[in-house]
Amino acid sequence: MRRLLPLLLIAALAGCGEKPEPTGSGSGRTEPFTVMLDYFPNADHAGIYAAQASGEYEKAGLEVKIQPPPDAAAPLKLLQAGRVDLAISYEPELLLARDKGAELVSVGALVQQPLTSLMSLGDKAITRPEQLAGKRVGTSGLSYQSAYLRTILDQAGVDPGSVKETNVGFKLTQAMLSGQVDATLGAFWNYEGVDLERRGRKPRILRMEDLGVPTYDELVFVAREEDLDVEGGSRLRRFLQATARGHQQLTERPDAAVDALLKADPGLDRGLQQAAVRATLRAFFPKDDEQPWGFQDPAAWAAYERWMRESDLLTQPPADRPPLTNEFLPGEGVDPGTSGLE
Amino acid sequence: MSAALIVLAALGGWEALVRAGLVDELILPAPTQVAEALWTDRDLLAPDLAVTTWEVVLGLAAAIAAGAALGIAMHVSPAAARALRPLVIGSQAVPVPVIAPLVVLVLGFGLAPKVLLVALVCFFPVAINLYDGLRDADADARKLLRSLDASRWQTLRMLELPSALPAAFTGVKVAAAVAVIGAVFAEWSGSDSGLGHALLTANGQLATARAFAATLLLFLLAVALYGAFALLERRVVDWTPRTAPGGP
Repeated sequence: MRRLLPLLLIAALAGCGEKPEPTGSGSGRTEPFTVMLDYFPNADHAGIYAAQASGEYEKAGLEVKIQPPPDAAAPLKLLQAGRVDLAISYEPELLLARDKGAELVSVGALVQQPLTSLMSLGDKAITRPEQLAGKRVGTSGLSYQSAYLRTILDQAGVDPGSVKETNVGFKLTQAMLSGQVDATLGAFWNYEGVDLERRGRKPRILRMEDLGVPTYDELVFVAREEDLDVEGGSRLRRFLQATARGHQQLTERPDAAVDALLKADPGLDRGLQQAAVRATLRAFFPKDDEQPWGFQDPAAWAAYERWMRESDLLTQPPADRPPLTNEFLPGEGVDPGTSGLE
Repeated sequence: MSAALIVLAALGGWEALVRAGLVDELILPAPTQVAEALWTDRDLLAPDLAVTTWEVVLGLAAAIAAGAALGIAMHVSPAAARALRPLVIGSQAVPVPVIAPLVVLVLGFGLAPKVLLVALVCFFPVAINLYDGLRDADADARKLLRSLDASRWQTLRMLELPSALPAAFTGVKVAAAVAVIGAVFAEWSGSDSGLGHALLTANGQLATARAFAATLLLFLLAVALYGAFALLERRVVDWTPRTAPGGP
């Protein structure tokens, strides 16, 4: 180890010099970097696959491995255990993990809005939250989904006792199609919603942020706090910048990104993925054009965290360490040497 | 013949049920739709079938080796039997989703965790059936061997193991039938190929007919494995006519 130390220092210093335009090219060596997805590969990850297919990660000196998770709860656990370098998870999941003491931090938003929605089908579809009274609502059994439902009912003045919540796991659409539930809370408007629409099932979609739930970033890139040091920070910066370029390509050639996605999982339906990518495109970028790709709004995060606390989802006092950092995003953060010059 | 008729009638009724619109085809596709998916998605499903078959075969091999070793160890050493039996039985009550993340944590996402999970599901019927079979060796033959001063090893090799073979094969056949579901659970715990993975992807995008086609392949895989071991049994245990059920 001691003999390695000077080498590491040199590597770190070399990394510093490159930081303004950290492509990592020239060294000819790529570092392995494993990213765990939140779910099996789908349109939400199109920008990542686009970056990989066009060689952006390689150019950034990273050999990126994109790994689907064993289950929805696994990415943050495996990240903490050091099995992966970066995990895609959900803003509420990250805040819950941090509440339990996880030293994890969001380093960029993949999807800038809630995708979770209140969905229903057919003639008796729910068009206003007031209609939920006396209805059966399917969720995936996640604590924050139940909290969303409570907030929605509260805002709409519906007696929560009159609404029956049923845990249908991840078979949300199936539960709606079979009529087991009158509506679901948990299906994504950009995926299940698009799928049902394409199949002519006329889903009625109500979005969380329109129903009184504070807005949040549905999908975020989560890293270990310990990896925000010079060396880890350089990797994160290079990964996020390359991923930003992947999303740029996505806007220019969305179908090329879907090709890359289908190469990762040939079982995916091309038509659905193309439609879902188009539906999601806007949500991949911040509403404010001034902000870089991946931007996380600290004020919105604070409001959402406050809501989680009021909903008794978080029990510990807020940590001193912020749950997010925009420092590693394209054009953000400056290397220590030039700090203040920009 | 009558079995074929029953199957045909069931398929016909199923088809009619879906065609009449009594069930949503996105929940239950008609048999013809499943057959169609099997054909149109063949290039997609064939590699997945190969992956899952390989996981099942390796997992079964590991389960048979481990189950046989465990069954014999428990038979030879009553102390081992007392200590291990609760663990062996209890292991079957552990839901795969609980241990899968642990297995993934240790073994990663490759073939190894799948083989381990298949083996975990399958070793139990092998071990327990072999253990029972070893104990149930003919008492008179046992006495005879003792009178001839046979060693423990000789008794095991000449009497107990051969006479336990039919029971052991029963265990292996049961294992073959459940191995497939073990592989599916293992693939659900993180994979990028295999029929279990195909099921997840198909279900995630309402490709229900394809999900049923993948399930049909799993069904056939289990039947084929069972058949292969039944065939092997008939070859290996040809010297002992199986006693009819209900006694000799």
